[in-house]
Amino acid sequence: MSAATPSFHPPRPPAPRRSPAARLLGQLGPPLLLGALLCALYAWAQSGLEPHRRFLMPGWGALWEGAFSSPAVLAELGRSALETAHIAVVGLAISIPFGMGIGVLAFRWHFMERAVFPYLVALQSIPILAIIPLLQSLLGFGFLPKVLIVALFTFFAVPTTLLLGLKSLEPGILDLFRLQRAPWRVTLLKAGLPSALPALFSGLRISAGMAVIGAIVSELFFVSGEGGLGQLLINAKLDFQYEQMYAALIVSSLMSISVYLFFSWLGRRLFAHWHPSGDSGGG
Amino acid sequence: MNLAAPVLSFRDVSLTFANRTEALRGVSLDVRPGEFVSILGPSGCGKSTLLRIASGLVDYSSGELFVDREQLGFTFQDATLLPWRTVQGNVELLLELRGTNPADRSRIARDTLALVGLQGFEAHYPRQLSGGMRMRASLARSLTLEPRVVMFDEPFGALDEITRERLNDELLGLYRRQGFTALFVTHSVAEAAFLSSRVVVMSARPGRIVAEFAVPFPYPREPQVRYLPQFAQLCGEISLALRQATESPSPASAPVSQTPPPSSPHSDTRSQGTSA
Repeated sequence: MSAATPSFHPPRPPAPRRSPAARLLGQLGPPLLLGALLCALYAWAQSGLEPHRRFLMPGWGALWEGAFSSPAVLAELGRSALETAHIAVVGLAISIPFGMGIGVLAFRWHFMERAVFPYLVALQSIPILAIIPLLQSLLGFGFLPKVLIVALFTFFAVPTTLLLGLKSLEPGILDLFRLQRAPWRVTLLKAGLPSALPALFSGLRISAGMAVIGAIVSELFFVSGEGGLGQLLINAKLDFQYEQMYAALIVSSLMSISVYLFFSWLGRRLFAHWHPSGDSGGG
Repeated sequence: MNLAAPVLSFRDVSLTFANRTEALRGVSLDVRPGEFVSILGPSGCGKSTLLRIASGLVDYSSGELFVDREQLGFTFQDATLLPWRTVQGNVELLLELRGTNPADRSRIARDTLALVGLQGFEAHYPRQLSGGMRMRASLARSLTLEPRVVMFDEPFGALDEITRERLNDELLGLYRRQGFTALFVTHSVAEAAFLSSRVVVMSARPGRIVAEFAVPFPYPREPQVRYLPQFAQLCGEISLALRQATESPSPASAPVSQTPPPSSPHSDTRSQGTSA
């Protein structure tokens, strides 16, 4: 700031509206650029490997030839993915309703929150991998223990986010229902749950992504029968089929992404018309 | 003077919280059918608490309260609309909670929305509306049950002056047409004077009624009443009383007193100094 003389600020015309193509480029450009950078990094790391270790990082051509071009491998990938999805979905079908139940009970009775939540946090702090052997001894190698592992992986986020959402109900709205002497159940259904939905969905998105991870991890420990992607990973490693291993990794991350996107989409459908979080691209 | 039996009556109502904070001290107020009573007071004086006591949201410690809560409507400080419901859905809410059948509540909500000038906005969501329109929807919602007494808890406090005056005009229209009795909490002197048949001034905490003014202008009131010299005169008098109420000594914050201090700070027998 110099002396008291006002300086001249020229008018600035508004920037012209960008064309749809330019806007699309603005949206897709940054992630594509970073993706290209990562691919370059991969190629660079691969070229740095000694030739006899290069199988650890198969190139694009090898990946195509060794995995994605072969109908047999594709069929195996598809079957495994379905198996993994099956475990993940059944696990979520246990953890989501159970978690929501706990969240609602904790909201209804404060003592439930005080009683249950410390143990939830404790459960969360136990490395689940560490109790897998225990589950194995207890329940054997079948479908049930895998599903339970997924449920354990995905449980925590559901009651915590739901309770957070229920508690952030505007006090005035609660008063409104109290003035009408609405029963608690009605208040929950007409005010609490709808208002908690955005928060719950942020929890569900986390849980859903975790479910795929949990299902794959569970298979790493329970190699039995015709397994899913986790088992495919292990078998590929044992058979030195690293192309197939990479293919399984790619498919499993695609699964995680699509589950996340599905919940984002569902959330947007449910509350984009009233909740600001529905607007943003990430959901 | 209106001599009908009061529809709402506070007799010596006091409220002391568990931590010994005295919120209200000996408030007596009768609201008679058809009256429009405003309560003015500095913030934190307990005027909103008085409404919440009447409606049963807050308990009081001593005194007596007479009211028919089935006949009570309530308009909150914020619009408190459910953001996931359309305007129509929001206005239907109270009827829905009362178990009114869908056809009736849809019709009543539509009619009431027309009453507050929101026809055509039934399918809008609250966040698509301006603050003033949201408040209209909120007002419509509280009128759907056709309450005999409507409590207003600073409903227009968050609105700009222009919108507020417009809504004041419309509220008076509704008051005339619907024939409800109103108890209106505000901290705007002009709003209280323009709307009310009677203005009650409360002191700073512990809240007591320290002054009362009858407003001489007949209903229906034209917006131009605001520009009458007598209106300005009345507002001046009310403002003066409000200033004195704000500065009046309270046992909690000692000195500056015209009256000799009581022997014990907790002997609650001091006069309430109700001057009209």
